[in-house]
Amino acid sequence: MNVSLFLQSKGGNRSWHPTKDNQSNIRVSWTMLLILFQLFINLIAGAQQLTSVSGTVTDVKGEKLIGVSVKVKGTNRGGSTDSNGRYSLNAVDANSTLVFTYVGFSTLEVPVNGRSRVDVKLQDQTTELSQVVVVGYGTQQKKDLTGAVSVVKSADIQKRQATTVAEAMQGLASGVNIRGGGQPGSEAQIQIRGLKNLSNTNPLYVIDGMITTANRDFNPNDIESLQILKDASAAAIYGSRAANGVIIITTKQGKEGPMKVDFSGKSSIQTIPRYDLAGTEEFSRLNFMAYDNAGATRQNLNTEINTNWQDEAFRTGNIQDYNLSFSGGSKNGGYMVSTNYYGNKGTVIDTKFDRLSFRVNTRGSKGIFSIGENLAISNAKADEMSGNPIIDVVRLLPTIPVFDPANPGGYGYGSESRARTFGTNPVAIADLEDRTNENLRIRGNIWSELGILKSLKYRLNVGYETSNDHYNYLRKKGNWTLNQPADPTIVNENRAGSSNALIENTLTFNKQFQKHKVTLLAGQTYQNQKYQQIWGTKRNLVPNSNGSYYTQLDQGNEPQTGGFIQKAILLSYLGRAEYSFADKYLLNAVFRRDGTSRLNEKNQWGNFPSFSAAWRLSEEPFFKNSLVNDLKLRASWGKLGSSNIGYWDYLATINNFSTIAMGQDQHIEAGATQVKLVNNDLRWETLAQTNIGLDASLLQNRFSFSAEYFIADTKDVLTGMPIALTTGNDGGNPLVNAASLKNSGFEFSGTYRQHKKDLDFSVTANLTTLKNKVTNLGYGRSKIFVGNTVTELGQPIGMWYVLETDGLFQTPEEVNDYKNEQGKIIQPNAKPGDIRFKDNNGDGQITNADKSVVAKSNPDYQLGLNFNVSFKRVSFNMDWFGAFGSTIFNGPRSVTDRFDDNSNYRAGIQPWTPENPDTSVPRAYYGSTLNSRGDTDRWLEDGSFLRLKYVSLAYALPASTIKRVGLANASISLSAQNILTFTKYTGLDPEFSNGSIYEKGYDFGAFPNVRMISLGLQLGF
Amino acid sequence: MKKIFYTIASLSLMLCIFLNSCKEDILTIENPNTLTEAEFWKTEDDAQKGLNAAYAMFYKPGLWSRWIYFRLDLTSDEGYSKSPWIELADWTRFQYINYNFWEGNVVTWRDTYKAIFRCNQVLDKVPGITFADPAKQKQIVAQAKFLRALHYYHAALLWENVPIVLNASKPDDQPKQSTLAEVWAQVEKDLTEAEADLPVTWDAPNVGRPTKGAVRGYLARTLMQQRKWNEAKTALDYFFTGQGKDKYSLVSKFRDNFTADLENNSESVFEIQFSDVNKGGDGDDPNATMSNNRPQFFAPRSIGWSDGQARFWLVNAFKEEPTLSGGIDERLRYTLFYPDLTKDFGDKIYGRNWEWDNNEAWFKKYSRDYYRNNEDYFAQNNYRLIRYADILLMYAEVLNELSLTTTAAPYVDLVRARANHAPLATAYPAALLSKDAFRERIKKERVLELCGESVRWADLKRWGDLETAAKVSQVAQRDPDFNNFVVGKHIRLPLPQDEVLNNPNLVQNPLY
Repeated sequence: MNVSLFLQSKGGNRSWHPTKDNQSNIRVSWTMLLILFQLFINLIAGAQQLTSVSGTVTDVKGEKLIGVSVKVKGTNRGGSTDSNGRYSLNAVDANSTLVFTYVGFSTLEVPVNGRSRVDVKLQDQTTELSQVVVVGYGTQQKKDLTGAVSVVKSADIQKRQATTVAEAMQGLASGVNIRGGGQPGSEAQIQIRGLKNLSNTNPLYVIDGMITTANRDFNPNDIESLQILKDASAAAIYGSRAANGVIIITTKQGKEGPMKVDFSGKSSIQTIPRYDLAGTEEFSRLNFMAYDNAGATRQNLNTEINTNWQDEAFRTGNIQDYNLSFSGGSKNGGYMVSTNYYGNKGTVIDTKFDRLSFRVNTRGSKGIFSIGENLAISNAKADEMSGNPIIDVVRLLPTIPVFDPANPGGYGYGSESRARTFGTNPVAIADLEDRTNENLRIRGNIWSELGILKSLKYRLNVGYETSNDHYNYLRKKGNWTLNQPADPTIVNENRAGSSNALIENTLTFNKQFQKHKVTLLAGQTYQNQKYQQIWGTKRNLVPNSNGSYYTQLDQGNEPQTGGFIQKAILLSYLGRAEYSFADKYLLNAVFRRDGTSRLNEKNQWGNFPSFSAAWRLSEEPFFKNSLVNDLKLRASWGKLGSSNIGYWDYLATINNFSTIAMGQDQHIEAGATQVKLVNNDLRWETLAQTNIGLDASLLQNRFSFSAEYFIADTKDVLTGMPIALTTGNDGGNPLVNAASLKNSGFEFSGTYRQHKKDLDFSVTANLTTLKNKVTNLGYGRSKIFVGNTVTELGQPIGMWYVLETDGLFQTPEEVNDYKNEQGKIIQPNAKPGDIRFKDNNGDGQITNADKSVVAKSNPDYQLGLNFNVSFKRVSFNMDWFGAFGSTIFNGPRSVTDRFDDNSNYRAGIQPWTPENPDTSVPRAYYGSTLNSRGDTDRWLEDGSFLRLKYVSLAYALPASTIKRVGLANASISLSAQNILTFTKYTGLDPEFSNGSIYEKGYDFGAFPNVRMISLGLQLGF
Repeated sequence: MKKIFYTIASLSLMLCIFLNSCKEDILTIENPNTLTEAEFWKTEDDAQKGLNAAYAMFYKPGLWSRWIYFRLDLTSDEGYSKSPWIELADWTRFQYINYNFWEGNVVTWRDTYKAIFRCNQVLDKVPGITFADPAKQKQIVAQAKFLRALHYYHAALLWENVPIVLNASKPDDQPKQSTLAEVWAQVEKDLTEAEADLPVTWDAPNVGRPTKGAVRGYLARTLMQQRKWNEAKTALDYFFTGQGKDKYSLVSKFRDNFTADLENNSESVFEIQFSDVNKGGDGDDPNATMSNNRPQFFAPRSIGWSDGQARFWLVNAFKEEPTLSGGIDERLRYTLFYPDLTKDFGDKIYGRNWEWDNNEAWFKKYSRDYYRNNEDYFAQNNYRLIRYADILLMYAEVLNELSLTTTAAPYVDLVRARANHAPLATAYPAALLSKDAFRERIKKERVLELCGESVRWADLKRWGDLETAAKVSQVAQRDPDFNNFVVGKHIRLPLPQDEVLNNPNLVQNPLY
């Protein structure tokens, strides 16, 4: 037997390869010889019943798998599947077992049992413990991981209709919170394991080794795999930029085999959630009531008009997303070419986004040398929204007409006598202000690897990214709001370019000595980032004959220009040691030293170490449990950094822009001064994170789960902490290494899957809890107040700090009886129907001193649920996402439920009247903010929600049908996004994003997630 | 093996070259965009520019390009707001609910201290610069002191108990609160020191910078608010018996005080030099505006925002006393837009007939209706912070308080004469009979001459008209907004709430 094994390992595998065309005759005869030899050996080995076996290998959806290795267990005999997913083996022992292995799929063992045809379905293994995970400057098998890494299936990202990767990830991984844009071309916010600093929550993106951002220019269809490095040990290899976590994306590569052509097309329609607002009849009744109660003369409302501003500002949007890719390769190389068009007509008038992208990934190798490149070119153009229609539709009265020829520009808006509001006409502003933003981006890298020794590899990775950005703004003549000044026509244009160059040298040593496995990595990297912009503005443009203007900067007058540069360099040294003994004991140590140009010379360098260990109990001899297939305990500790700050924030600069008029001739003189204060001694912000995790696989790997607990301490948080205005500072609060924060949380992610004949079923749940606490604040403070929030030591960031309401006064007696301990009437001027506020300090009056902390804004926990069922060729898929325990400030409701100022009212609102005292809405009273003040708990609401993020039904066409038209696979799907939400929140969307760290829970009229229905078609040739 | 050796050798070489090229000093990148603070404050030119930047603060929205007029003109009984922006209007009628309201309170506070920071930079740094002519250095320092005093003067009028910051700030400063008396004392000190080094007049290119007269004007105001009448008289003597004698005179046409046509004229004691050359925003960016937004905010509805307008009692006040020729006081024509403007003087309102309510009026002073039919954010008319007519009336008031009533009258008569009114002795003999009667007359004379010029709030405070409920109710007859006025509380604004919360050394003003 040994002889045959030896011979086969020399050439057998290669000669069994089914790609017939490129096999030389010599190799074919080798094969023949080997088969004969094998036959001979088998014959003399004893009485074996031989048979030939053939069959087809597909994935669970029935798609044929090419190049699957098929082996006879216990031998090295076997072959692999051809372009039709077929294999055939001759002279196989009828009692033997076939082993099917394929990258990215679970290995499957099937006894032949004398059959001549064995068709199998392989299970996609991307959530299983044995998958390969990219961990930064290398890969590990998931079973060998010692840190907290989440893997998101690329299919789950690509099935959703989203502009950016981030948006498509919501609910797919534990510990990750995403709040998406909704507007065409808008980008989502990601937060991994909570707010660990006070400036920025976006993680670091590494795409094919290039450190960059996966912004809207990046085509999510190109993703092959995506992993999220969450804890310090996993992310430490990215040192100073990893504090917010790291998202590693690998794009698709050509696989060995003939050219594969894949087409996918998705067409979606989008609708925006709407408010339920009063029409003219209801509005005017309430408006008159508010004026009458205040003793004011009613306005002369134009009740002839009944404009539904939501109908005017919103529309049904759509998305067209077409992707075509070509891929293939041989043993020594591969290619992948893809092209994508993504067009989104927004749900708000005059908004749209278009992206055309193109990617070429190739690789090749010869001997010990291999080389590859990944190159993406994209052009994205957004027609941006003007104003905020989400608020405008609320602020405008239904009695205002859309068009009014009497106004400059011809649009209707507020009027002093008929509709006193400064609300903006969204149709007017959409027409009169044009904003477009276009980016041409080239992003790619070239890498080469040299296998110096069998165990030693050198890799050079050179990445480069450049963009050409163009922004255009046109202000046409005309007004959109009451009493607006006479603005001239204005054109503003800026052109900018960015570049991002990365050079990385790494050496990897990998060796196994009996049961000891060692991987060592050492490297050095250099990254140089630059952005440069020039801009120009002109006024008083020349009109052209079709109602617009000549907008080139040559035209017009009153020129203004400007420009600036930003530059930064990061220089780093890194190393990692991985050691494992018998797959049981795993140790991992990482060290990174980073130097940044963003800090002053004394503080430029930072060291970021991490250590982690894991113990696979299931490999221990004493651990014999038929229920548990795999069990691993993990622990890690590490330090990460952040210098996620501006380019020269440590440097006090002089603002040269002041000019003054002076002298009898009113000539202009220049001024210069320091405007923004600076803390020169800024240091690295550091995050120390401890993580304990458990990975388990049970019930023949049908159930697997990971659980994590982490504690993250951030010290010296770089933040623009609010400073006293008496300093005279302007231009933003200066950064300071101020606060310390502690985040701790529990994450769980579990999958159960079952496979029964034609039925496949899997469910994945992930749960994240998060506690956030401020342990120290800068400048010796104990509290910071921002808007309606307070951030205090020992408490989470941004607690709601407002006046507490205590119902409404029903009678004058109640007003007079509402006294403090000294008998002082607390609200002597109140009338029945006014709000009763709590006099928390007991001083007998309602002032800011009565405010108190009433709720926290962030959720206690969030939940993601994914269901997949497929039966034969039909598959059904559902993703749910929910967040629970948050408190939201409903900004739009503080507009629709107020009567002091003119804006539209919530339909069905019941203000207090003597006849209708049983309500929580105070009496309608025009002209006084007392009942509608914005700093009370009246606008706080439970923000918990559970949402069906995604649901789809897909059908794979039978092979027999599609084969006739030359297709390898074809499927159609119908899906919907955000169509069902359970929440008590009365605003448009509880799942919104607010960029302010302190006011995350403040819904200022944020753009809601849109509802979407998509039809998709997928074809493979 | 040989091949491997070469490979390793060449790789190591590459790495070495690369690492050498990446020496650690490459991590220091100079900021190519602008000067660093360390490079500045070295030359005379730097000093001049630093000072000019302090002047540029007049153009900021919290100060004299916009919101301070709401505090000084609209909060007083001369003006009010019918703005549909209710919170904005609430802040002109003593309904201060959210003390962090940006436009009503915080922006003026912020810009006041921003201006003080710029003055403090000059005062800290300029003495260390070597000047060819030390007199020039002293003049620069003196101007910065004048500007700092001017901003503290208005801070004292508005909030009273503000912190005094006298050095360039550091981010972690949490200055102590001062009493009103301490703030006044600081203003007096700065002005006194400034006066010594400022000229009586400037050469043509520097007209617009403060003179000794400007200092004396603000010093007199500061002293009068404290009712230090003797010291105030001394300060004002400058114009009548001191170096300032014969340097100032009333211009013959009242309206020339408010247009862009005859700026820095003989009546001007100190004025803000506005210009419409830049059309940018009000931040610290290139092309930042140097203009006044006031007319855009105060123009009648459908012409401007109309966030502020004049109380109608002013119209009647002008009409109480006919001129010597039996006509209507022409000052009315250039002070207010009111329903009978066309009938009385033949003037339209921005080219329109009266289309507003019959009991409404708007401020016409500083509007640009004299040459255009609309407004924008870029009014270029210089704003006269002190003009000689005000000095004359101040002097008369001070003399009267010192019981020199008959001496005082001729100064009032000068102002009256331009408006074609008879001397007080003829027109109002009774007013000369007692200090109190004269004071009442002065009150009227001041409003007719100076209404809409941002002095009324200080006047009401100085006269004690806001100190008792009885007196406030009299004011409320002219301006019902004063029905909301709580004695002891609304005489000063609340400090911005975040300032109080974030600086443990500050206490909120009483009753807020």
